[in-house]
Amino acid sequence: MKLKLLGEFLIFVVFGFVLIFGIDFIPPPPSGLKNYFVYQGVRQTGAINLVSSIYLGYRAFDTLGETIVLILVVSGIVMLLEKKDKE
Amino acid sequence: MKESEIVSVISRKLVPYILIFGLYLISYGHLSPGGGFQGGVVLASGIILLALARGTDSAQKLFPERNLRIVEAKAFFLFLFMGIGGLVAGGYFLQNFLPLGKAGEVPSAGFIFFLNLIIGLKVSAGISLICFYLLKGE
Amino acid sequence: MSFYLIIFLFILGAWGIVKKDNLIKKVIALNILNSSIVILFIYIGSLTGSTAPIMEKGIKNVVDPLPQALMLTAIVIGICLTALALSFILKIYQRYKTLSVSRIEKLIKNE
Repeated sequence: MKLKLLGEFLIFVVFGFVLIFGIDFIPPPPSGLKNYFVYQGVRQTGAINLVSSIYLGYRAFDTLGETIVLILVVSGIVMLLEKKDKE
Repeated sequence: MKESEIVSVISRKLVPYILIFGLYLISYGHLSPGGGFQGGVVLASGIILLALARGTDSAQKLFPERNLRIVEAKAFFLFLFMGIGGLVAGGYFLQNFLPLGKAGEVPSAGFIFFLNLIIGLKVSAGISLICFYLLKGE
Repeated sequence: MSFYLIIFLFILGAWGIVKKDNLIKKVIALNILNSSIVILFIYIGSLTGSTAPIMEKGIKNVVDPLPQALMLTAIVIGICLTALALSFILKIYQRYKTLSVSRIEKLIKNE
């Protein structure tokens, strides 16, 4: 019993070491994509909020897919939890 | 669940301001932090506060369940029609086909304003519908 | 320093899913796991600037707006995942009248 607990603890410690020493934590270099959004975003879409101009202007197709996910989840919950009246 | 008087009175006074704040976040989505998703969740949280404090029957007098289901389905089709409107006006799917105005005012971003309204309606109807079904599913 | 905090949250979420016995605590740990990944993306995106990406008059040096726009969709999908998991737990409770995983396994074996 104690051996099983020690084995599980060791697995999580190894997992933690793999995550710490396996991922390179350097700050990102200056990217051309951010300069494109900052300099051309307001003129091409007209919105001051850059985050709104990205997910409703340049990449509106991802927002369409996400509304599909919302409809699927709501219909799944309605199907699972509806009450059938016994008459 | 048992009702208490303090929660019932305070929720009645607080819910209209929460709904107005949610509508402000949705409609000023392209000028200040906010947008469709954020404002929709705030709007849904006002409805859920009403349902938790006074029971789901009292919340369904103001927001009936059948109307919420219809609003959510129709909002998805409105989103599709705005996209097909971009195809009709000679361009690609979901192109910005309304005129852009001066940056900094409310009617200034083409169809981003209308997309924000559609997404806000859809998210608020969806999340409050989920909570109505979870609260009375016993 | 913040990276070690994010890795600690990730391992806490993973440990909570595996080792806890109550079903609702497993759903809470799933939510912690989801939130830690969202925080990681937004933190890496915030290292390249200093103010929020709202382009008013005379504001330079804004933060990268692209990870924030992608994480909006990720947050909403996390909410939908939690809602479906909770409705499954409600159906399990209506059938077996208990919420602990070991007791449900015993009840299934005795049927």
